[in-house]
Amino acid sequence: MEAMDMIKTAYIRGLLAKGTREDGRAKGDFRSIKISAGILQNAEGSAQVDLGATRVLAGVKLDLGEPMEDTPNEGAVAMSADLLPLASADFEMGPPSPDAIELARVVDRGIRAGRCVNTESLFIEEGKVWNIYVDIYVLNYDGNLFDASEIAAMSALLNTKVPEYENGKVIREKRIKALKVDNMVTSVTCAKIDGGIVFDPTGNEETAAQARLTVATDGQYIRAMQKGLGGSFTQQEVLDVANGAFERHGMLKNAIESSM
Amino acid sequence: MASKANKPELIVNGKRLDGRGFRELRPIKIEAGILKNADGSAYLEWGNNKVLAAVYGPVEAQPKHMADPTKAIIKCRYSMAPFSSLSEHGRSGPNRRAIEISKVTKEVFENVVMLNEFPGSQINIFIEILQSDGGTRAAGITAAAVALASAGLHMKDLVYAVSVGKIGKELVLDLDMIEDNYSDSDMPMAISPRNGGLLLLQMDGEYTKEELAEAIKIAAEAGKTISKVQKDALRSVYEKVEERYNGE
Amino acid sequence: MKNMVFPGDMVSNAPIRNAYVYVEDGKSYAMTIGTYDAASGQFVPLEGNWTPRIEDTVIGIISSERNNVYEVDLNFHGRALIIGGKFEKFSFKVGDVVEATIKDIEDRRTIILVYPRLLSGGLILLVKPSKIPRVIGKDNTMVKQIADSTKSTIAVGRNGMVWLNGGDAGLAAAAIQRIENEAHVPGLTERIKNMVEKTEKR
Repeated sequence: MEAMDMIKTAYIRGLLAKGTREDGRAKGDFRSIKISAGILQNAEGSAQVDLGATRVLAGVKLDLGEPMEDTPNEGAVAMSADLLPLASADFEMGPPSPDAIELARVVDRGIRAGRCVNTESLFIEEGKVWNIYVDIYVLNYDGNLFDASEIAAMSALLNTKVPEYENGKVIREKRIKALKVDNMVTSVTCAKIDGGIVFDPTGNEETAAQARLTVATDGQYIRAMQKGLGGSFTQQEVLDVANGAFERHGMLKNAIESSM
Repeated sequence: MASKANKPELIVNGKRLDGRGFRELRPIKIEAGILKNADGSAYLEWGNNKVLAAVYGPVEAQPKHMADPTKAIIKCRYSMAPFSSLSEHGRSGPNRRAIEISKVTKEVFENVVMLNEFPGSQINIFIEILQSDGGTRAAGITAAAVALASAGLHMKDLVYAVSVGKIGKELVLDLDMIEDNYSDSDMPMAISPRNGGLLLLQMDGEYTKEELAEAIKIAAEAGKTISKVQKDALRSVYEKVEERYNGE
Repeated sequence: MKNMVFPGDMVSNAPIRNAYVYVEDGKSYAMTIGTYDAASGQFVPLEGNWTPRIEDTVIGIISSERNNVYEVDLNFHGRALIIGGKFEKFSFKVGDVVEATIKDIEDRRTIILVYPRLLSGGLILLVKPSKIPRVIGKDNTMVKQIADSTKSTIAVGRNGMVWLNGGDAGLAAAAIQRIENEAHVPGLTERIKNMVEKTEKR
């Protein structure tokens, strides 16, 4: 509905010109976050995240595999994301869209660069490791899938229990040992709309945005960044958003930890 | 059917492995209207199955040459999440099995939705199996019917689905995963409760004609319970809002 | 909820004429969720889509223009057109919001619109079309109440698009969304009145 997008854009920009947002938030505010960890039983780990009206579910599976040649003592983590057609009238059936692939790769980069999962703990015996599959399922879209997905993936990993491995067999019914997670990465996404910058953009705000920036941090280092859409950020704006990501890391980390 | 090697004893002392009687359903819970963007939606838990169904439409048929100038067309996607089963990580996206289920599910709803009201349009039905424990197609259809009703689409009936299988010589209602893997027969059905019409019927294994007749009867009896859960879910959407004003 | 019926529920064992009821073998069945009062024969649907009718007032967005023929997005699965003539030249742009009246419907999915009126600025709300009659209210009372109290200009389309501009448009939008969610709960008019008037006095 392209004509509708024009109306939304004009409306959002009009509000911002007056210094307000459609839901009354200040520019730097996040929407309410609700994390439900462990809601699935067949998956080794799971978490559903509601960020305002955006809803994302992450599921974790562990499979037996062979290590990569260059890391014989480590398992691997594979991240993927699905923009399910039930989540928005704009999401289509069919193979993963570029948007879904970008989402998965950005979430993956933060968690990988932050060495969140202790991949050496996935070693079982020579030639055998656990490989971890994190699938991000977008169930309802209202903007900022990056941060919601990062929280969901992180929470699901923290919720993950490793199946028992006895005499060459995987016993999935028996899961006692928690997955070793060494670090926690959270991301913060901003949208640039007519020169103004808003944190945690809604769907309408993303429609109106000229540029988008995601910064993932573990509180000490920046771990991943992704700039999106056709517009640009000034150097100062990039630094401001990075600052914003550090400032909000504690709040997001807290939300994840208190849901476990 | 899975391999019969290491087949567990599915019936012990006249009870099934999970303690159910032969004609006993697993617990079913449905919540309607839970997805904000969809025109209609439902979340269903049926035993350990967890299913989301959503409906969008009527929208303009895409691609345009698929449009039928006399009536709406239905598109249906049934898909299992890669983390839905207790076994290994699954492949993403619908496989051959999922595509067949999508087709027969679509045909169920072509029968009941009043398609002639919206010529040239398309109605999308999405079924996502978030957790599977046997009988997911029946669970998906039961959830999708609630999603369609909550979308306000005009329908002849509120369809439900359930399967009846056979373990040894016993007909058993609503097979779970382990029963489904090792049972001798399985017959999922979707039924129009108004007239008992069968809108989906699949079967493999071995049934006598007498057993077929009996199995349909068992499904219809179970349908009374399933229909009630469906209607209660739809009703509670409005009652929840009403309750906020009780005592005001 | 009292008298709630579901698709397939028999509402009468005789044939009755009602837009939300179908007849089969001489018996009448509900075709949507709603409430049905057997005594008065009144069926109030709880959800539903819009079926365009001649003379309906609609709100839409201009989505294309060619040779003085404008296509209008009504959030409907068919097409809607404003056709200019030799003596009737319009100058709408893509993205303009217009209010118009349905003059004709061809093949049940091509809508011909007349008397278009440009609505400048503002925002559009998408409301379930089944709730639009409640948003309008008896003799326009509901929408007038909201507009007067919030000082917002409001135009309501039967297709479920509502246009709001100026005043406290946010409050007006919240009131309309509340009508959409609570239309079936008795005392709606009073609640909406309290909601918009309280703020007015503040």
